[in-house]
Amino acid sequence: MTGLRRLGLSLMAPAIAVVVALALSAAVIALIGQNPATAVRVMFDFGDSPAQQTQAIVVVLNRAVPLFLAGLAVSVAFRMGLFNIGVEGQYRIATVLAAGAGAAVALPGPLHLLLIVVVAMVVGAFWAGIVAVLKVTRGVSEVISSIMLNFIALGLASYLLTGPLRGSPEGASIITTSPIPESGWFPGLNGVLTGLGLAEPRSELYGFLVVAVVVGIAVAVLVKRTRFGFDLRATGMSPSAATASGVDARRMVLKAMLISGAIAGLIGMPDLLGEARSYNTEFTAGLGFLGIAVALLGRNSPLGIAFGALLFAFLDRAAIPLQFADIPASVVTIIQGTIVLAVVIANEIARRVTRQQAERGSAVAPPTTGDGSTGGEQGPGDGPPPDVGPTTGTGTGVGVRNANGEPGRTDSRQGAGA
Amino acid sequence: MEIPLNESAPLAVELRGITKRFPGVVANKDIELRVRRGEVHAIVGENGAGKSTLMKTLYGMHRPDEGQILLDGKPATFRSPADAIAAGIGMVHQHFMLADNFTVLENVVLGSEPTKGGRLDRGAARSRIQEISDNYALGLDPDSLVEDLGVGDRQRVEIAKVLYRGATTLILDEPTAVLVPQEVDELFGNLAELKREGLTVIFISHKLDEVRKVADSITVIRRGTTVGTADPRTTSAKELAEMMVGAELPVAATRESTVREAPVLRMRGVTVTAAVAGGRSVVDDVTLTVREGEVVGIAGVEGNGQAELVDAIMGLRPLAAGELRLGDEDIAQWSTRRRREGGIGFVPEDRHRQGMLLDAPLWENRILGHQTRPPAVKGFFIDRRAARADTARIMREYDVRAPGPDTAAVALSGGNQQKLIVGREMSAHPRLLVAAHPTRGVDVGAQAGIWELLKDARAEGMGILLVSADLDELISLSDTLHVMLRGALVATLDPRRVTPEELGGHMTGAVRGDDSAGAA
Amino acid sequence: MKAAALLLAGSMALAACASDETDADAGAGDGGSAAGEELMVGLAYDTGGRGDKSFNDSAYAGVEAAIEEMGGEVQELSPNDDGSDRAELLTQLAEQGYDPVIGVGFAYGEIIGDIAAEYPETTFAVVDSSVAEMGAENLTGLLFAEEEGSFLAGAAAALKSETDHIGFVGGVENPLIQKFEAGYVAGARAVNPDITIDTQYISPAGDFSGFGDPARGQIVAQGMFDAGADIVYHAAGGSGQGVFEAAADSGGRAIGVDSDQYETVGDPALQAVIMTSMLKRVDNAVESFITDYSEGAVEGGQDIINDLSTDGVGLSTSGGQIDDIQTQIDEYRQQIIDGEIEVPTVP
Repeated sequence: MTGLRRLGLSLMAPAIAVVVALALSAAVIALIGQNPATAVRVMFDFGDSPAQQTQAIVVVLNRAVPLFLAGLAVSVAFRMGLFNIGVEGQYRIATVLAAGAGAAVALPGPLHLLLIVVVAMVVGAFWAGIVAVLKVTRGVSEVISSIMLNFIALGLASYLLTGPLRGSPEGASIITTSPIPESGWFPGLNGVLTGLGLAEPRSELYGFLVVAVVVGIAVAVLVKRTRFGFDLRATGMSPSAATASGVDARRMVLKAMLISGAIAGLIGMPDLLGEARSYNTEFTAGLGFLGIAVALLGRNSPLGIAFGALLFAFLDRAAIPLQFADIPASVVTIIQGTIVLAVVIANEIARRVTRQQAERGSAVAPPTTGDGSTGGEQGPGDGPPPDVGPTTGTGTGVGVRNANGEPGRTDSRQGAGA
Repeated sequence: MEIPLNESAPLAVELRGITKRFPGVVANKDIELRVRRGEVHAIVGENGAGKSTLMKTLYGMHRPDEGQILLDGKPATFRSPADAIAAGIGMVHQHFMLADNFTVLENVVLGSEPTKGGRLDRGAARSRIQEISDNYALGLDPDSLVEDLGVGDRQRVEIAKVLYRGATTLILDEPTAVLVPQEVDELFGNLAELKREGLTVIFISHKLDEVRKVADSITVIRRGTTVGTADPRTTSAKELAEMMVGAELPVAATRESTVREAPVLRMRGVTVTAAVAGGRSVVDDVTLTVREGEVVGIAGVEGNGQAELVDAIMGLRPLAAGELRLGDEDIAQWSTRRRREGGIGFVPEDRHRQGMLLDAPLWENRILGHQTRPPAVKGFFIDRRAARADTARIMREYDVRAPGPDTAAVALSGGNQQKLIVGREMSAHPRLLVAAHPTRGVDVGAQAGIWELLKDARAEGMGILLVSADLDELISLSDTLHVMLRGALVATLDPRRVTPEELGGHMTGAVRGDDSAGAA
Repeated sequence: MKAAALLLAGSMALAACASDETDADAGAGDGGSAAGEELMVGLAYDTGGRGDKSFNDSAYAGVEAAIEEMGGEVQELSPNDDGSDRAELLTQLAEQGYDPVIGVGFAYGEIIGDIAAEYPETTFAVVDSSVAEMGAENLTGLLFAEEEGSFLAGAAAALKSETDHIGFVGGVENPLIQKFEAGYVAGARAVNPDITIDTQYISPAGDFSGFGDPARGQIVAQGMFDAGADIVYHAAGGSGQGVFEAAADSGGRAIGVDSDQYETVGDPALQAVIMTSMLKRVDNAVESFITDYSEGAVEGGQDIINDLSTDGVGLSTSGGQIDDIQTQIDEYRQQIIDGEIEVPTVP
């Protein structure tokens, strides 16, 4: 019962948030003199012919795959209260090196692919690992160091692209790495689509979709079902309690960042292996930052992130038909922004409501005992300061906190119950 | 036991038929409270009995669904604590809300600063605080930093804060929970001053001896409603306790010594230094032994190194020097996890900070600290089914009252949370249990239950290191009692002979040396 | 309607394959037969979209001028923030029957070849990207000799500099912007071989933040002014605003880019420091392409290079700050047109 209700609440919050955000967006559309109803109709207009409709689906899915991976990468670190802003740099540097490695060798198909993917993951993990090592050994905030490393990664990627890994001729307006030979291309999934009786779309559906799904399931299992995941979440919920339970906070920081970085390394793979075949100056940028929004939207759960990624991808595609209907594309950006904002607010409200209900809920249980009242005497909601302590904020990304488990231990009497 | 009320003078505070409902539960029902002006009125009841709800009503933090609040005979309605403060009601919370790096003056005026030309008028504030301090004998220096103050002083700062805002009725929520006996006496002295100046004090507690000592009248709350009033001069602590729980209490029985020869924990010369470079020794050359079947108590005023000692045993702080052995093994270099796997159970002093994941369900809290051991874990994976089943068992065997294993830990009362923690730690059958303040903030019923569990475990041969601020608890449970002062063990006492007052003397350093029959 | 469009497009394709003489005729004839047809121009912008006061707006101005002349309509599309849906923009335009379809910005160069092959009935053009080697007969590249215009900018800067020290701020270090740098440096050296020239880019290749970061533009330019430069030329899009501000703060001067920024900058204080602007007449190029298209005169499969000889690039004279050196500038201009001066395209 309780579980069901909690699930209901956790789904309600984002759903309400999306509705609120859409209402706000509708108001904005109306404000600029357009008809919101038209806008909605246009956004869901996937085209007239079956081929156009499948194409629209492919466009959404192809966009959603990297967003999903980016959200996952961010969420793994979020889960233990680490704010990995460096996903952006991690995937860029990983993609350029993976592209370089893929172009440099010729191996039989699966091996070639495996090599590229492994290079990407290792590079991503390495780049994130720097952040972790700095945090563990020198106490550098991961937020600061990962932002700094983003700059370094972009510069380094640019140097590699224009220097040692340059494959395009001098003077070409777009600099690219050498193309990856065909053995390193990831087969598309259009066969599956046509097999399902859908019309052949114009673009190829990224085969990497399958990998993303597998990674998503793996992350879900890892976080929810394993000892490691328990330690991770425990650290996220309460670093001090996790440390006292025997979790080695430093090692967890390292592991979580390595996993986050390895997943971040995959973000560029769908485009690289499915379409572009090389890294270039025009390679899609900013996915790491979008990943933060998607992770927030999905409340750090892989399923939620999948929904978030699909929603963002859907809105992204909708920008084109909207423009055909003379509605500015920036409407989409407004919708995306309001959704994220609304979800963050809704999550926080839902968390507080759940908590309050839980605190009161204890009273329902045993009518025969003396515990029949608020039950909140020891609860953290007891004192006036709202609980902003280290045990909160698992879902929202306020997780910028000391994972070493020693957040300013001043007066133990004050700390008690606060 | 009714006290005849002096009907001629209006009551300072009167509550009539206060009822407060939360969705699905009635937290307060038909509360009747009559507090005369100028008295110390105690409200006693178990944790969860509804004292907090009542106080929140009186302090304007929520509004009652039914009933009336009368102040000096006139009906009053509070929409917020600001209304209550304006009406002369002040609250001293159990957990101090002071900014450590501010001075007393700054803390007192925080939120209602006197200003002159947009700037803090320190002169006005200082003279006003000095006046309050002198009138009520609080002995405060407006310019000392709060971080330099002891607990008793901090509490007086809190009281001054309330008085500064013009309170004539003070609500003190469990004010003695954090104090040693000497500090309690000082507090009671302050309360007498307040009373003498005509202020009214509402004193919430479940420490019945203290209540009897300080209160002029007592109202008992049980299961959300007032069950009667009592005259402290004519009512015994036992009678009061039985009014509180509505049943006869288990008596802390004396028991046989179960101490065996084999040591489970040996510490020799253990020293821990403060985290800052070149820090002083917070644990200073501590040598002690815990044997199988023995409860070793550590008494001391909080902040004298007990927390650090516990951390050192649990591997949460490195040793600067010394030897730490579990059984025959040197565990000084072991990680916390390895120590726990090696058979150390841990009931931390602050269960919210170190003992629980408040937002997680109970079954996940069952796993906490036991992530590598059955039944909750199968290889690399969490065994959710087994964890739930074992949580249900703990709830049954250790009397944890909650709807089920999927309930969030935050929904439990402090006592039930603590019983879950104790049950969880006991279930792993540790050789050594490190119990820091195991009954802090839990109600009388749960306290008795936890004591029984500790006694049973001791009888089965478990070694227990008990750190507590509850001197009765220390004296009644310990086989050996050490006193810790400024990081060092300064005395070893025989719990069968020592009184709380003597113990308090050792804790503050007023009395030195072991007692004659030291059980070292 | 659709049939007519097909007919039109089909004959365009035919025309493209045929020899000059006849295809001009066929195109013209076709245009005539489609007289009842509206001209439907599809315009896909570079990131930033309409309202950038620069590149995209300039392209739109060209389309607008063409429509004013010939009638018809335009559908504009802006890509998403990271530009990952550019291919989708072009295909949607083609699918909806827009013809011609123009991609604004070299970023379209990467993908427009594939799309042109998929929609052989539609005529495509791409600004700033060469298509000569793609072999798509329905695709035209609209290129600019930025190095030639920049040469004149460099010459003007060298002539006007009092400290013999000038600067160049590039937005992103990619081959296109390097063309600006190359021309500018060559022009300055042609005037004064010993002149000191600081060159700096705001962001490395692949990181497009350098085109939209006035704050960093200002820091970079300020550094140059502090080091003794008195004139700084920017090819940094929106970041140029910062360059102008740095110039105003230091009492130096700046050279704008793409459009006549003296006219567009809006702030009189900044206007005063804009000595001249290197014009890149995207509007002219787009307009003449559309005119050619409607007349059936698009050859396809090749690049149209807009240089000094076609007034596709040049220097603006608003504000009159370079009036005194106009003769020298004109001499250089003529020399370049005549081929006496060969301007490098890479630094």
